[in-house]
Amino acid sequence: MKKIASVMTALVVAGGLAACSGSDGGGSSESGTVTIGSIHPTSGALAGVGGLMDDGAKLAVDDINAAGGIKALDGAKLKLSSGDSQGKAEVGQSEAQRLIADGAVALVGTYQSDVTQNVAAVAERGRVPFVIDVAVDDKILQQGYKYAFRVQPDATSMGTSGAQSLAKIGQDSGTPITSVAYLHIEGAFGDSVFKAFEAEAAAQGITSVKEITYPATNFSDATTQVREAAAAKPDVIVATGYYPDGVLIAKAVSELKPDIQGLYGIANGAFDDGSFPAASGESGQNVLSANYHYDANDERVADIRTRFEAKYGKPMETASILSYQAVEVVAAGLEKSGSDDPEKLREAIAGISIDDPLLAFDGPITFDERGQNENATVIVMQVQGDNVEQVFPQEFSTKDLVFPATAAR
Amino acid sequence: MTSTTTQGEGPTRFVRVGRHPTTVVSVTVVLLLAAVFAVGGKDNGLVTQSIVTGLLLGGVYALVSIGLTLIFGVLGVVNFAQGSMLTMSMYVVYALVSGPGLPVYLATLLAIPVMFAFGMFVQHFLLNRLTSTGSHEGPLLVTLGLQLLIANVLLMIFSGRPKSVGTPFDGSFEMLGAIASYSRVIAFAGAVLVGIALTLVLRRTSLGLSIRAVAANAQGAALVGVNVRRVYALTFGIGAASVAVAGGLMTPFTSLTPSVGEQFTILAFVIVVLGGLGSVLGATIGGLVIGLVQTVGALYLPGTGSLILVFAVFVMVLFLRPQGLYGAK
Repeated sequence: MKKIASVMTALVVAGGLAACSGSDGGGSSESGTVTIGSIHPTSGALAGVGGLMDDGAKLAVDDINAAGGIKALDGAKLKLSSGDSQGKAEVGQSEAQRLIADGAVALVGTYQSDVTQNVAAVAERGRVPFVIDVAVDDKILQQGYKYAFRVQPDATSMGTSGAQSLAKIGQDSGTPITSVAYLHIEGAFGDSVFKAFEAEAAAQGITSVKEITYPATNFSDATTQVREAAAAKPDVIVATGYYPDGVLIAKAVSELKPDIQGLYGIANGAFDDGSFPAASGESGQNVLSANYHYDANDERVADIRTRFEAKYGKPMETASILSYQAVEVVAAGLEKSGSDDPEKLREAIAGISIDDPLLAFDGPITFDERGQNENATVIVMQVQGDNVEQVFPQEFSTKDLVFPATAAR
Repeated sequence: MTSTTTQGEGPTRFVRVGRHPTTVVSVTVVLLLAAVFAVGGKDNGLVTQSIVTGLLLGGVYALVSIGLTLIFGVLGVVNFAQGSMLTMSMYVVYALVSGPGLPVYLATLLAIPVMFAFGMFVQHFLLNRLTSTGSHEGPLLVTLGLQLLIANVLLMIFSGRPKSVGTPFDGSFEMLGAIASYSRVIAFAGAVLVGIALTLVLRRTSLGLSIRAVAANAQGAALVGVNVRRVYALTFGIGAASVAVAGGLMTPFTSLTPSVGEQFTILAFVIVVLGGLGSVLGATIGGLVIGLVQTVGALYLPGTGSLILVFAVFVMVLFLRPQGLYGAK
């Protein structure tokens, strides 16, 4: 009995420790500066990407200040006040409250859908605009919030355009795709992308012959799942999930050598990540990934990425570019409204149009009545050699598509 | 989770290998697998694959749990830092591979003394005073703090971006119609070797005798001249060294992040309690069983369902045999 008591103590303490850390005060709105709050998971399991995103937002603020600040506000400087969500919804929520109380006129964040949902609720109550950089769940913007805006495509649009791109790739290469087996992570993210894909794929004449879910934790070998997918004899295996599971799936596919035309990720956290080619080696070659992505052909993006790497010593991934973009959206809103009043800023952002997005989108960043960026879409990337190249559609391509995309074996 | 194994006071049960549980376990496992083949309604190749994958995964679980069963069984320390120590040894191996460019398996050998020393240090300076007073909460809180410390120091040094380590034995081969990758087979062999080596040390050496004596009755061992604190420190060191082997052998097929090992902590506790506290054989068999249950179970209950099955087996075993498979009454 004593031991069970001690285990319970441990769990309680673990919860307690998590609850009381972070928060470094500061961030009050002084005259001549405008504070933007940034909430990302800079500690915990997602600290890698969370840190990149926070740095992306910092770089955006520095760039805007170096270019003369907010001109409509007499050159007022931006100040970024960072909060650490630790990857937990309740911590993100309290950080949002703190940042708003400290005078933030807008928030950007947060990478995770559940954290984003809580922060959006706080922003709505506090009447402070919240520009979502990364968070995929459709539900976030289905609450009728007025103060939440999302730059990236939502799950449904990613699943839908992922299916369209796949069908188009098959047709263009003269090897029509008629069936897929779909592997996805358990939970709202994987489910919603899969559902949207399945519906659109059916319309495109692609049957989803097998759906296989895998758990988000304690998943350290994908061989059985991939074999199960291959047993359905699909033309293509599609995968939606995060980084570690994506690497496992790519490795399992290359080991099992199923007779497929390619491995295709949709909203996959691994396949277009800069560290994926090295981590997967041979098995990653030619893997396709439909995802939102920075526009590699854009000179401004190239410049930002070069300076980011020089400053922070890490390559700037897409998530980080999105944080940069989110800060730019806020800055553009400040220029348009000519006021640092959060409610006026919201009005301005709602009607904004940013013509040169840093991401490979269909057009300018404009928000619909839900707050969703109307032109957000996915493009298709492919691992070729040590790099992730943009291969589809043509207008964004950096290299030619290789399809059927079987790995070099 | 651990309540069912505490009858009496202190960690008094140790390596007791009866033939009985092994036979029961293997017969049960074989019967269940045969049933899956016969009436499971799944493709035979797929079932074979899941069995091979499950056994190889079980090898990894066994490696992680062997270290824990010593620390838990002998010291009675609920080591919440087990997963973080696993992560730490992975990063030690990563540093040796990416820095001086050593091959991964040589780096693993070098990580063993590093982690052994780390384990000795932790027990000697952080835990000894607490364990010798018989406190359970104290060491537990220390290891919890240690877990946070390790994860955040690793985050500071290596950043949270996923890292990977290459292996000279990349690739896979076919075995009974199933695919197995070399690095996973090597990890499995490592688990078996560590299991055998530790069992021999415990049974045949005077150190092993002291460890068993301390586990059975620390006071009595001290009376006959065993340096209990030294045995404690050595045991924690050995536990950490087995984690080093686990971490090193796992790096070729794991994406390294500062919190990657933590998901193994809970499963390792399940395996240790399932196998019987302090039993190396129990941890090995327990690891294999859990690996099989998780992977074969995933054919029928995908997603989290397979983990539910793992805990169902755990509860069932504890219901039928509260002291664990190889624990003594």
